[in-house]
Order: sequence, then structure tokens, then C-alpha cells
Amino acid sequence: MKTMRQSTLTTLGIGPVLGFFRNGGPPESTESLVDAVFGPEGDRGALVISGGNGIVGSGKAMQLGSRLLEYGVPVVTLDLPDAPDGIGGQYGGLKASFGRETANEIMANIVRLNYGGKELPPALAKFNPRFVLEAVPEILPIKRAHYELMRGAFPDAEIRSVTSGFPGSELGVGILHPSFPHPINKVWEVVEDEPSAITRLFWSLGLVPVPVADYWSFILDVLFCGVTLAALRYQRASNMPFWKVDKYVRRLVGPNPFRAHDAIGPGASFLTWSCLHHLAEQYGDLFAPENQLVRRKESGESWYSSNRPTVDWELADEDEFNAWMLGPLFQMTSLMLHEQRAHLSHMNAIGELCAQFTKGIVATARNTGADEVIRRVETYHRLHPDAKNGTWHPEEFDRMDTPEWKQLYVNAEHDGEAGAITLGRESLNWDVIHELDRAIDWLKEERIDRVVLTGDFHLTTQLVGADTSEFYPALHDREQSYKMSKAWSETARRFNDEFALSVGFINGKRCLGGMLELLMHCHYLVADQSAQLGMPEVTLPVLPGMEGCHWPLRRASREQWPRLLAILLGGRFVRAKDTAGWLTDYAGPFADAVAVVGKLLSGGDHGLRRRPLAEKSFEVPAEARELPPAESPAAEAARKAVMDCIRASCAAPLSEALVVQARHSAEFMVSQTCLRGAIGASYSKTMDV
Amino acid sequence: MKDVSPVFPGAYIPYGAWGGSWFPAWHTSALAEVDIARFAAESMPLILAKKGVEISALDYLVSGSTVPWLYKFWGAPYLSHCFSHRLPGFHLEQACATGLQLVLKASAHVQGGSHETVGVLAFDKTSNSPAGVFPNQGTYRRTEVISDIWDNFGYDPSTGQSGFSKGRGETSMIACAGRTARKHKLEMNELAEVSYTRYRQYYDAVDTGALDGILFPLTVLDVRGKKLGLVDGDYGVRRYDSLAQFKAERQLDTGVTAGGQTHASDGMFTLLVTSEAKARELSPRPEISVQLVASAEHRADPGFMPEAPAHAVKKLLARTGLTMDEMTAVYDHNPFAVNDAVFAKLLDYDWRKMNDTGCPLVYGHPQGPTLVRVIVEALERTVKKGGGYALVFGCAAGDVGIAALFRVNDSNGGNPA
Repeated sequence: MKTMRQSTLTTLGIGPVLGFFRNGGPPESTESLVDAVFGPEGDRGALVISGGNGIVGSGKAMQLGSRLLEYGVPVVTLDLPDAPDGIGGQYGGLKASFGRETANEIMANIVRLNYGGKELPPALAKFNPRFVLEAVPEILPIKRAHYELMRGAFPDAEIRSVTSGFPGSELGVGILHPSFPHPINKVWEVVEDEPSAITRLFWSLGLVPVPVADYWSFILDVLFCGVTLAALRYQRASNMPFWKVDKYVRRLVGPNPFRAHDAIGPGASFLTWSCLHHLAEQYGDLFAPENQLVRRKESGESWYSSNRPTVDWELADEDEFNAWMLGPLFQMTSLMLHEQRAHLSHMNAIGELCAQFTKGIVATARNTGADEVIRRVETYHRLHPDAKNGTWHPEEFDRMDTPEWKQLYVNAEHDGEAGAITLGRESLNWDVIHELDRAIDWLKEERIDRVVLTGDFHLTTQLVGADTSEFYPALHDREQSYKMSKAWSETARRFNDEFALSVGFINGKRCLGGMLELLMHCHYLVADQSAQLGMPEVTLPVLPGMEGCHWPLRRASREQWPRLLAILLGGRFVRAKDTAGWLTDYAGPFADAVAVVGKLLSGGDHGLRRRPLAEKSFEVPAEARELPPAESPAAEAARKAVMDCIRASCAAPLSEALVVQARHSAEFMVSQTCLRGAIGASYSKTMDV
Repeated sequence: MKDVSPVFPGAYIPYGAWGGSWFPAWHTSALAEVDIARFAAESMPLILAKKGVEISALDYLVSGSTVPWLYKFWGAPYLSHCFSHRLPGFHLEQACATGLQLVLKASAHVQGGSHETVGVLAFDKTSNSPAGVFPNQGTYRRTEVISDIWDNFGYDPSTGQSGFSKGRGETSMIACAGRTARKHKLEMNELAEVSYTRYRQYYDAVDTGALDGILFPLTVLDVRGKKLGLVDGDYGVRRYDSLAQFKAERQLDTGVTAGGQTHASDGMFTLLVTSEAKARELSPRPEISVQLVASAEHRADPGFMPEAPAHAVKKLLARTGLTMDEMTAVYDHNPFAVNDAVFAKLLDYDWRKMNDTGCPLVYGHPQGPTLVRVIVEALERTVKKGGGYALVFGCAAGDVGIAALFRVNDSNGGNPA
């Protein structure tokens, strides 16, 4: 197997992705991994969560409890008798996600035990603990004492710590560091020598384990605490209030660190201080906590005032602010690169998936360029000379031309006969488009003409469409909007035009908007039957700008058009199982769908007929049947604009339709209807500060 | 410059690390709608940031105002909480003398060594001022309802209850000015000329940008965080084009006309007091040193408030051995043109040489911050003239006069370092 860069799945001991299609699925089943971790059915042990009433413990009890229920693995939570009930508080969210009946079943499978901290409750033994997830306070002696207690009683149990800061070498156990918000965030930073059955089980359960190296504070905390520290230093230098610093930080990089601390709770400031304190001990003043944080580590004082702000602030110097923020983040990134803390795609994705970064820090550095990255760090050193007394590895940015840097989101693999292009980002942006182009180029250079386009089975658990923040520069610039629609569509068309056979495979929970438009350009579209498909653009509203307004109609019979129009004009979602023959070519159980893709790639007997693509112009009726009335004049206007785009792009031959729909898309994006919608509002909130 | 030992030799005011809002007349700006204390507390770090001063450099805060505000009980510690830098400190008030008292107290704290860098924050809002209900056994209803601004302006309990006057109206501030004008036989023509000159001085200062760097436009937010309004002017200052306009105005009392008296307004002002070394560090022009040299206070006879500052200045000069001719800049808080005329008469000083860049007679009167603005404008003027002594004085409720002398040294002789 040849890959453009290392597949992230191989870091888990799974993959590469193309192997799934060649071998009929992942190498191990969830059932076998449950057996490996908790013992076989009949002798199944329990998951024990120590500190089960805490924010992390209770959240993870829900996340893991809901996934392990069908495998008969009891979840035992352990906590001090006077710990406030954290488990009960999770029930509302559980009920909202799964319904009352299933929520009750999940809760019924959670056993809550109390202990004094020094002796384990006798009842614990009868649950046969096989896997202990430690979520006790971030105090080293307490953690170590707990491991000793557990090992004394259950020497065969695997122990993992959720610590955000202590390396495994200090703790003597492996790490599974989860991300906020704990009941729903699927990402776990993993520290272990080799991918364990626990890690592979987590992956098999639909979670996102991400291996990282064993250093003080893991990547998420370096990024999150780092951005907090950078914001604090700017706050000190500028006097700007926290709420306003937050707005500018969000505009520049994505997170609003002070609001996030308040949302997490009073303990968040202690954790951030603890992380920075230890990092400063290891790496110097680059990480030295600011006094505002030191003060709050004990007091738990919130960052936002209970008062609404009265006086507005503006940036005095945008470039200086960028240096205050990006300088330390780039310097910290150079350290993580130097220490090879993780696969670059992991390092990048952790910021996006766990720390609200609009774009991962590696992608940000790449897009900034090595020279500019170094200039910003040097500017930062002039603003804050103490940071020079920390680690700084500018040479790490010399490697930006390597595939690891260039393909952060998109990878390509092939086995000499067929290839796979995998998407490691759930939403589409310019980076993904550029990386797709490079991946296609690479496969063509490798003389591969049969390809499957799919999520990466790791960092993407769904494909949600375009990253709407990419639209911001186009909202007031018609030509920019046109350029985006045209370029993105041209990349999508390459899957139709440049391969002998292309297959789009939908394996996650949903595939929407721009991602669905991208995948539908493949000659075949195959889906896991449970996936939800949809074109929600009309609800935002924007126009489907990657040929969604004509491409599916060209591939469907006239009788199927009402279904397509219902999706396009109503923004309705449909289950993949109901779309075979008019939107997808096959939708079935996961294993069957994988097998179909495998047959398509190998030229086996797949039984599917390739639906033709109408190249000539044709007329679409102006009226769409079976649509409920629009809910507002704005919705009506959006619906009309989509319909106009459908009719105009279908009325053009295929060779001209791309430009026609791009023009419509661009025209609508600068319209008042779009500006007053969700994206305009999001732009105002995020960018117009 | 004759050398006079400062009363607080270890206390310095960092030149330039100061500023404030414009003073919009009451109910002419968004300030009417917001909590003035929070506005002031949030504006202070913003203004200091424009002067390159980190708010974290402060280790104490003295604040002052005269109109009750929300959570006033919590004083300066609450105000510093509003700018997220928890400082000890206290809040004080003495009507229109508040601003100068703040500087005195801040200097005393620095001199005493209890704190190194003391922030002075003064503010007031006359718009939508609160009303209070107080027990008062001496009245039929056993309670007194006070509209904080107007009832206090209109009635001096010291004189009103002593039987000095027949009616409450005669104990008002305006009556004080009229009574003083009569006592000193001030002519309406001269008072009109004082007013006309003061307005010309102010217009010239605004037009030439003399107030830039002292007064800052500030955007006020509503509860949704949206812009409620921009405060970028002393709104409400009338435009007079001729002396005749002043002369033609109706007299509200002897020598008191609309153009010859101040108006209620809203605003804030801030400056710092610190050690000599720290002042150099915090000042954008460290070659300039500013120190409070001395102060004096005087209480005039009942109902003669406008003449009280002149007596305070006389005391100050007597104590320091200086004369008016040795003053580089003379600025006062003058709610009435009468103040300036009577000062000139008692000190034998030409009122035309005072208040070069404006005065509260013109730009308004939010009490608490008024004298801080006067001080800052006087110090800026002194620096502009190459250094020397700045004399600042003003009157305050209770027939009080307060005066202070500042010394400005410019080691570069007026050339920025």
C-alpha cells in the first residue's frame, strides 16, 4: 500500500482506509474488542470511573455508558460520599439524545458506589473491574494513591487517567485525556506505547482516539491553555476587558478562551494554571502563568463580570494583536513539532475539534508561511521579551513542503490498482479543496484511475458541508463568491472527469450540503443506510454552489425530481436507505455497503447500473410539488432563488452549467436575503466586532 | 522658578498618564442611560491604555463622586473589579472639591509608603440622578424626599436651616452668586465680558485641538452590547458669537445669566499619583515631573461661596511665599462668571490670564471629575509653556474654597525627550 502521507488510522493499529474496502471492513469487530477489554460474555467485567460525579467522570459515564449498553458492560462510578451528584444532572441530556426509554436503560446500567478515598467499597469486587478510568482531581499524590489502591485490589485491571497535564511517565498509567464538553466530544488524546485494545475499542465505538506523545500537558492543553495565556498577556498589555479580548481572539483564531473557562466552571482556571505552571517549569517563561490566572486558580473567580459591559473597545493595532496571539501559539507549535508530539493531522485536528479553532494551528501556520510565522514570533519576543526564555524551534517550519504538512486534511492511498482519497475534516474549506486537488494529482501521477472518495474513518464521523466561515470574505464580494463556487465545483468535477471510475462512500452519521455535492460528482454514490443526507443550504440561506442545483437532476429520472426538489427547496434530510436509485446508487448496512465499494473498485460483480449524466440542457418545471409553504418571506425568497438556479443551470448544457450556477450562487451570496440569514448573522457576531 | 518644598515630596503625577471623557450636558448623551460608575471604571483602563499604561501597574484606587450610584456602598474596590484588577481603595466626596481632594489623598498614600501607584478616578452623572427618601423628624411628614441634584443645588441646609434666609430659593447656588456680586459690586458688563472670554477660550481650544489627548471619544453600549451612542463632545455648550449676546441675557440674580453660569453634565476623569521612579516609567514624557506643592481650603461667610476660592488662594500664596505673577497657568472651577470676577478683584489679578483652554463655566459641571479635568488642563498648559507653577482652585458646596499649587519641571526645556 502506498500513501501520500501516513494514514492517521495506522497510528491506532487500524487501517489504512483502502484496506477496509479491500478486506470487507475494519480488521476487528466491536464485539471482539469488547471481549478483549472486558472479558467474554458470561465473564464480562465492568468499566469503573473513579471520580464519577465530576464534570469529566459524569460526562464520560454517559458517553461510554450509552455505547457499552448493548454489549452488557456495566459502568460503575466511584466517588466520595459528599461529592455533589454529577450523574443525575446528566439525565436530561441523555433523554434528549436517546429518548426516555433508552436513557433509563443507560442509567440503569450505571452503578454508583461511594468510598472514603482510602479503602475501596467491598461491593466493587463483584462487578469485576477490568478497565478503570481515573478522573480524580489533578493532584499527583492523590492520583498515585488511587492507582495503588486499585492495583492492590484488581491487579489485572487496565488503568487510564483522564489527566490533562501529567505525563504517563509521572503517573505510571496510560492516558486517555478527553475533551470538553465531555458527554458529547468524541476526541480522546491517548498516551500508550502501542495501540491497545482499549484504544481500538474506543475507535470501534465511534469515538476519536488520537495518539499523542508523553510530555507534560498534551496537545489540547498546550493549545487551549496557550491561547488563554496569549489572550491574558494581550489583556495585560492593552487593559482591554476580557469580554472584548475574547471577541478579537474568536475572530482571529476561533476560541473565546475566557468565556470557555466560565462555561467549564470554577475549576477550569485551576486546570489552566496547573498546565501552564508545569509547562513553565519544563520549558520556561513562554508558558509562565499571568497574575490574573494565578489569582483565579484558588478563588475560581469568573472571567466575565456579572455586569453587562458599558464601554466599547477597539483594537489599537491589528498587527500587534496578531503578534500577541499568534506569536506564542506558533512558538508553542514549534515546540510540539520539535518533540514530535503527534501526527500533524492530529495536532491540527485537536485544535479544531476540541479547542474551537476555526482552523487548526498547523494549517494556520502553513497558510501563514514559514517566513511570516517566524516574523510573528520575533515580533512577539519584542513585545514580551520573557518569551525568549522558552523553547523556540523556527527550523521546524522549514518542512512545510512535505506531504505531512501539505495534506493535513486529505490523504490518498493506493495499492497499485485502486486508490482512496480520504477526508479528515468534517466541513469543506479552501484547504480541503486544495488538498483534494493535490491528492487527485498524486493518484493520477501514480496512474490510478479507480478511486473511492470517503471520510477517513477517524477524524471525521460525519460530513457536514461547507465551513460557512469560508463564506465571510464572499458576503460582500460578488467576484470572490463566484470564484469560490466555480473553483470548488471544478475540483468536484474532477471526480467525474478524470477517473475511469470514482465512488463516493458515505459512512458517517450524515452527509450534507457541500460535502454531499462533492461526493455526488463520483460515478457511484454508496452509503451506509443509516446516514442522513440533505441540502440544508436553503435554510441558511445560501445556494448550493457546488453544482447541487443541477448535477443530481442530470443523474435522476424526471419522476424522481420531486424528491430532489424537496431536498433542495425544503432543506429536508432523508435517510440514505430511502435514496437508492435517485440520489445514491446503493444504500445498505455498513458491511454490505463496504463490500459494494470493494466490488466497484475491483471490477467485481456489484450489480449496480451506472446512472447516466445528462449533458444536454433540459427544462425543470417552475412549480415544485409536495412542498409545504415557506415559513417566512425570507424563506420564500431563498426557495425562489434556489429554484431559479436549478432552472437556469439545468437549462444550460453541462459544459456551461458550472458557470451558470456559480453566477447564481455569487449573486445570492451578496444579497440582503443572505446577509440577513444565519451566515450574515454569524458573520456579524464573529467578524464585525 | 522659586523653589518651594512640596508637601508630599515623594509623590509625583506621571505627566500625560491621564484623561477623561468629554462632559456632555445632562440628558444630551448616551451617558444618561448607563451606570456612570461602571462607565468610568471601564473607561479608565481604556484611557490609560492610550497612554501606554498597563492598569496592572496600579496598586491602589481612590475614587470620588457626589451623586449616589448603583452599588456605591462597595466603593473603589467595586470599581476596580469593573476593570478586572482587584485593588484596595476607598471612595470619597466633597462636592466640587472632590477631584482635588482625590489627588491630595492619593499623594498622601504614596508619600506614606502604603502604596506605590494610586489611581485617581472621579466621575458623576447628573442625568437621571436618583432621589432619596430620608427620615427627618423635624418635618411634618417625618420624611424628606431629596432629588439628589436639583434639591441640593437649590437648598443649602447650613444656611437654610439657620434662619439666614427667608425662603429656600435664597439659599440656592444662584442666590450665592448674586449675593456675592452685590457684595463686591461686580458690574454686569464685566461679568458678560468674563463669560464671553471664557467661551472664546474654550472654542479656540477645541478648534486648535488643544484638548486632544486629554479628552477621549468613548462608545457607550446598551445591555445587548450594541452601540448606544458615542460620547465625543461637550454636548450642550452653547454657541455665542458676540459679547452683546451675553449682555442681552436675562439676569436670574444679580450678575447671573444663562451664559454666566455652568450647567449640569456627566463625565469621568482619571490620573495617577506615584513615586518619582514609577512616574518616569509610566509617563510618555519622563523628562517632565509634576508634583503637588501645597493646598489650602477656606470656608466663606454663609451664602458667599464664589469668593471662597479667592481666600483659599490667598492662604496658599501666604504659606508658600509665592505671588500670582509667579504662576505659569491659573485655572479654576467657576460655576459662575462671578467667581472669576471676584477672584480677580480680591487677588488683583487679570482674569483674562486664566483658564486658557476652557473652564467648567463653559463645558459643564459634573461635580466629581470637574476639578480633575481642571487640574489636567492646567498642567498641560503649564507644560506647553515650558514648566512652572500651576494654580488650581474652585468652590464647593458649603461656601468652601479649595486651592492647590502644582509644580511642573521639564528637564528638556519643553523639548520632548
